[in-house]
Amino acid sequence: MTVGVLIIAAFMIIPLAVGLLAATKSTNTSEDFFIQGRGMGAIAVFFTVAATWWSSFAFLGSNATFYTDGPVYLTALAWNLLFGLMYYLVGKRVWYLGKRFNYVTPSDLLGDFYNNEKLRVLVAGILLVFTIPYLQIQLTGGAYLIEVASGGVIPFWLAALIFYFIIVVYVWVGGIRAVAWTDIIYGALLFFGMLFAGIYVSQNLGGPTGLFKNLLETSPEHLTLPGPQGAMGFPAWFSLCVVTAIGAFMGPQLWLRMYAVKSGKLFNLMPFLLGFAAIAYMGSLLTGFSGVLLEPGVENPDQILPIMLMKYAPFALASLILAAGAAAAMSTANSQIHAVSTIVTLDIYKRYGNPKASQESIIKVGRWSLVIFSLIAYVMALVVPGVLVTIGIAALAGTAQLIVPTIGAITWRRAHPTAALWGLIAGITTVLLITFVPAFSQPFGFHAGVWGLLVNAILFVTISLSLKRTDHKVVKRFDDARYEYNKEYHPELIDELKKKEEKTV
Amino acid sequence: MFSKYPRKKIVLYSLIILFFIMMETPMIMLGNKVEPFVFGLPFLLFWVLLWWFICTALFLIGYLTNWGSKSTDTESK
Repeated sequence: MTVGVLIIAAFMIIPLAVGLLAATKSTNTSEDFFIQGRGMGAIAVFFTVAATWWSSFAFLGSNATFYTDGPVYLTALAWNLLFGLMYYLVGKRVWYLGKRFNYVTPSDLLGDFYNNEKLRVLVAGILLVFTIPYLQIQLTGGAYLIEVASGGVIPFWLAALIFYFIIVVYVWVGGIRAVAWTDIIYGALLFFGMLFAGIYVSQNLGGPTGLFKNLLETSPEHLTLPGPQGAMGFPAWFSLCVVTAIGAFMGPQLWLRMYAVKSGKLFNLMPFLLGFAAIAYMGSLLTGFSGVLLEPGVENPDQILPIMLMKYAPFALASLILAAGAAAAMSTANSQIHAVSTIVTLDIYKRYGNPKASQESIIKVGRWSLVIFSLIAYVMALVVPGVLVTIGIAALAGTAQLIVPTIGAITWRRAHPTAALWGLIAGITTVLLITFVPAFSQPFGFHAGVWGLLVNAILFVTISLSLKRTDHKVVKRFDDARYEYNKEYHPELIDELKKKEEKTV
Repeated sequence: MFSKYPRKKIVLYSLIILFFIMMETPMIMLGNKVEPFVFGLPFLLFWVLLWWFICTALFLIGYLTNWGSKSTDTESK
């Protein structure tokens, strides 16, 4: 027991120290606090993106899904690659525009391109409303892991409180730099923790090959779609991939991590790094499948990983891996709390409350909104129960809707503000209807988020094509930005344009 | 229609699209079986890992070839 508490203590103190160290590098400007003055280097960016994107949803939810529904979670390998590809194709353009026009929040970009105040508010609102449930599941997952890893010495409410306190302290003093530095530790712990847990636990069944042979005899339906319950076939496979990758990618915490990057070259490498890291899910697969054979009938499948480790691994090792799981939750939660406070400070306080606010008062509001949002998430973690994957996906389905106007803004000069606004409203309404009204439950097995995106995209394109933008100055400004972007990164497109012009002349 | 893109860019993106077709359309059902076991892995798992490996390798090639674009990108890493 004491070993467990010691591991938890180390796990708490090390990030705190790293966070405080990062704080000594801060300059007291709001740009530094929110996006590290657009100067984040390669290693920090990779780890903070990966650790932010891999949450307790990945750490606990993946094991749980392999355990209850068989192989559907393998679609994670594709969604990691999709996420990486978007980071290059969309993220690099968002980064470029952010640098050029000095954006800090998602609303800055969408509000500026669409030149529409309502849209700006709607975007901020969607991000706040849909990030909070996702934040709550991080705290729930993290606190639960701390409780188990300490051998029950630290109860859930206290674990969640400690968890929240530590995040607030280092984000308060160090801003996004402290988040990114601590994420380097969390990311490494998480990756090796997941893989190692699976390999270790499966040794009880003769390693991976023995495990699969056993499973073939006792529960072969765990090895193919649609899984043992028969509910997770292709529609679920596809929905999980699309909604998770796009929803997480559009989360405000990831968006800030596009603006914060120092060099455009890094975006070229991210697809490979993020795709490669997905191999850690093989650990979850081994843990979940071992659970099917060794511990059938666990009531709350989210607990399968802690149960397996506590029973089949030495206590110290189990605690260490569970602390890594808490790290997964914390590395997402810290970024979300930071991102949500950024939106409140810049999109609401600065824009509508006090446009002339000084740097000091902006940072001050940023810090206090950290505390308030953490408190809301804390209370929610205590009172709202729920399965991690289900809540997670519902929240992601909401933020995913932003991809439609975002792609419009970075690629299409005809993209129209009215189209973006109604597309988003219709997309979100579709998500809410399908999620909460039983009569509409998941048509053809596809998730609410997929239907939302479909409705959203169709409306967006149709309305954009039937209306014309009159704010030529804004359209021209973005045309120029796109031209400059292509000139710098895709010169072959420019050569072609020139050739065409010469021909017509 | 694609004449403006260098050939290596077209090949790279076509292969990436092929990956997503194999993984995220009903084509995935081609690999949806337990037997035969390959390297001790059930077939579906092997199939998904194989495509994952191909696509990850493509992303590495993408990075090394500047994603098929001629770049004037002179900034250092």
